[in-house]
Amino acid sequence: MATIQVSEAEKVYIMHGVRDDSRVDGRGCEDYRHMEIETDVVSNTDGSAKVSLGQTDILVGIKAEIGRPRPMVPDEGYLEFFVDCSANATPEFEGRGGEELGVELSNNLYKVFNNRHSLDLRSLCIRPGENCWVLYVDVLLLQCDGNLFDAMSIAIKAALFNTRIPNVHISEDEEGGKEIELSDDPYDCMRLNVENVPCIVTLCKIGHRHVVDATLQEKSCSVASLLISVTHKGTVTCVRKLGGGSLDPDSIFEMTETGKRVGKMLHVPLMELLQKEENLGRERTKVGFLA
Amino acid sequence: MAGLELLSDQGYRLDGRKATELRKLQARMGVFGQADGSAYMEQGNTKALAVVYGPHEVRGSRSKSLHDRAVINCQYSMATFSTAERKRRPHGDRKSSEMSLHLKQTFEAAVLTQLYPRSQIDIYVKILQSDGGNYSACVNAATLALVDAGIPMRDYVCACTAGFVEDTPLADLCHAEESGGGTTLSLALLPRSESIALVQMDARLHQDHLPALMEAATVACKGLSKVLDDVVRQHLQEVSVQTRE
Amino acid sequence: MRETPLSNCERDFLLKSIEAKKRLDGRQTYDYRNIKITFGTDYGCCTVCLGKTRVLAQVSCELVPPKDARPTEGLMFFNLELSPMASPGFQSNRQSELLVTLNRQLERCLRNSRCIDTESLCVISGEKVWQIRVDVHVLNHDGNLMDAASVAAISALSHFKRPEVAIQGRDVTVFSPEERDPVPLSVYHMPICVSFAFFQQGTYLLVDPCEKEEQVMDGLLVIAMNKHREICFIQSSGGIMLLKDQVLRCSKIASVKVSEITELISKALENDKRVRKEGGKFGFAESVAKERITVLTREEAPLEMTDVQATADEIISKADAPPEVVPSPVIVATGTGQVGEGLQSTWGLEDDDDEEEEMSDLTEREKKKDEVMVISDSEEEEVVILNQAGQSKCS
Repeated sequence: MATIQVSEAEKVYIMHGVRDDSRVDGRGCEDYRHMEIETDVVSNTDGSAKVSLGQTDILVGIKAEIGRPRPMVPDEGYLEFFVDCSANATPEFEGRGGEELGVELSNNLYKVFNNRHSLDLRSLCIRPGENCWVLYVDVLLLQCDGNLFDAMSIAIKAALFNTRIPNVHISEDEEGGKEIELSDDPYDCMRLNVENVPCIVTLCKIGHRHVVDATLQEKSCSVASLLISVTHKGTVTCVRKLGGGSLDPDSIFEMTETGKRVGKMLHVPLMELLQKEENLGRERTKVGFLA
Repeated sequence: MAGLELLSDQGYRLDGRKATELRKLQARMGVFGQADGSAYMEQGNTKALAVVYGPHEVRGSRSKSLHDRAVINCQYSMATFSTAERKRRPHGDRKSSEMSLHLKQTFEAAVLTQLYPRSQIDIYVKILQSDGGNYSACVNAATLALVDAGIPMRDYVCACTAGFVEDTPLADLCHAEESGGGTTLSLALLPRSESIALVQMDARLHQDHLPALMEAATVACKGLSKVLDDVVRQHLQEVSVQTRE
Repeated sequence: MRETPLSNCERDFLLKSIEAKKRLDGRQTYDYRNIKITFGTDYGCCTVCLGKTRVLAQVSCELVPPKDARPTEGLMFFNLELSPMASPGFQSNRQSELLVTLNRQLERCLRNSRCIDTESLCVISGEKVWQIRVDVHVLNHDGNLMDAASVAAISALSHFKRPEVAIQGRDVTVFSPEERDPVPLSVYHMPICVSFAFFQQGTYLLVDPCEKEEQVMDGLLVIAMNKHREICFIQSSGGIMLLKDQVLRCSKIASVKVSEITELISKALENDKRVRKEGGKFGFAESVAKERITVLTREEAPLEMTDVQATADEIISKADAPPEVVPSPVIVATGTGQVGEGLQSTWGLEDDDDEEEEMSDLTEREKKKDEVMVISDSEEEEVVILNQAGQSKCS
């Protein structure tokens, strides 16, 4: 975050610009910043992805472990989110300073992913009522320049696409106790279907118009923003309002329509890109931060 | 130490290196635009990210500021997915606090703090993937980040680990070699004057083997300093080309 | 509470004396203070006094399930606490740097060096193992907590005896000490920490710094060794730059010190064993020397007495003889007398001239012994005491 302080004159300038559909860096109101996505950057995990959206950098690592399923839904696995706002982003996150923001972000992620349609949780079940796969999704915030949710959701989708869960063989031994064996073959693994994983679009209301992908500067000019999670079919799975200001119902409706439109357009190129990266296979040189 | 043979008869280690060979080293400076200085370092499979903010005014309590020097504040944390078993807390446990203290001491010795009285320099290091030599990767990455931030230092601070197996010193240990039960010596060195900023060793070693072990670590650090120097010069060239045009 | 800061004068004095190879308590640079090790009535309780630094270590054990990664090994847990009675600067709940450093060093020294056979602590593999817990409390801080803590911890571990267990299938019966004799832990070796303090950017080094020396030191090097000359642990701290041969030299010094201290510990353990066997009194109450509370006792400090007589004579002969001054009593009036002369009161005097005048007045008056003495610092307005020739006083 590197603490942004915006003067009143700058705020007025930004608001006038948005009114005329031209933002500080030349984008339109519905344009995203330059985005770079790479998967499989951390080899200790079962799936990972790194996303840089302008100056915002997010790294997601997914680890799959075997655990007991939730008592209410014995035939499904589940996801656990943990957002770590590291001190890299701003010195204010040192020690326990980043915990508040991290907890807020992970709670929002729980809400977004909390329905049966985003991810097929049944496929994570091993033995109903006894064993299931628990996916620990760890989000690491490296640099923060606004629009954290969008970048996080894209990174989570890419990481889930990249996740390889080893296949499980259940064998019975003599006394009737069941043993679970994980296959050692790195290619014998299960992939997740991320078609329905939603992407989050955050819309900030600046003046009378709303913008997609606000930088920190623009965020300081807005009083309220709306968080919409959209699947590739255009279905809205979760809507949340953030910020202290108020939104009238008309603008909420408008913003939702914009969000649906933008979100739908986001999925197709993302899936294409992920498929292309996957097809490069082993010849792909892993760049990570070394670009 | 049963099972895994850390040094084969032909002199090859677990990952095929010779006894005194270092792991593949790749580094990049200026990774993040928002911080004053940043660097990313890969030492084999260990990946470390260092970010420097400062020198700036002392945050928090004013009583921490020193009238004649800058205060160096370090935090070491590991990403939860960095180790084979998932870590629950990225920082705040005793081991991370100890590492942060060691980093602080190492850089207090190397940075010319007298030039910035009453200010604070923050160094934040994050381990993205841990495969042995965490402390050394952190120190090397932090050195590059300090150079990127333009903070004057006495010399590069290079760190490396060394171990001892069957009378042969090994340089730059990976995780399997560290946890195999043998000795691990971590050394942070200023290569030109050969002065040691921090020395740390665990596990038993006979006193007579200590000179050989320290010599191996010193040689490894010197080799590392050459690589770091190359990275810095290359980065400077790139930056000057960009700014010239 | 905050620690009392060290004044610059004290700091300079300490540094200068270290440069002259002298220490505050008269030790040599490589000398340890007196170490006293005493054991309590319970097994596993040990107090170590290193000069004035006092540290108490207590070992206890309980049955717990083992770690998943190592099902056949027992667990060890170390905890060091800086209690506020040790020093005004220690606060009970604050996680200070010193606490973290000491804890981690103690853990690394004793756990990573594998001084205790953890395999023998296994009762039922994968289900129940002994967890040995070592609690170290610092009772008084006079420097060099690390050494004292490590000696206390390893002595307590060597002294400790765990209860005997009997295994039948999956049942475990733990016998109390009355039923069956407790079993001592198998200690492979005794790692002892030796601290070296560095001053003036590594030019001077001292072993076993006391608290004042610790406050002026640049950095600390801790080396843990056992008597077989194996180094268990090296840690340098503080922002100092060391050279390789300095570290090697320190390790040589450390090996000598460690063998001395290990001797001390074995002797203390032997002593305690013998006393318990003979049925004599043992424990802390016996080890505290009998001192009367009403008497302020002080330890005898050794003084260097060589050539004292010669030096004293020299000083006396060189000094000038003091002037012979016999103050004569001045009798001012009946009932009053004055011997010697008090100083002039300088309050309220602005001009120096007045002072000088008065001084000269007084000197004049001195010569005439039976003159009237005016006592000028009286609060009464005018005190005129007429001479004895018999006129009435007015005051």
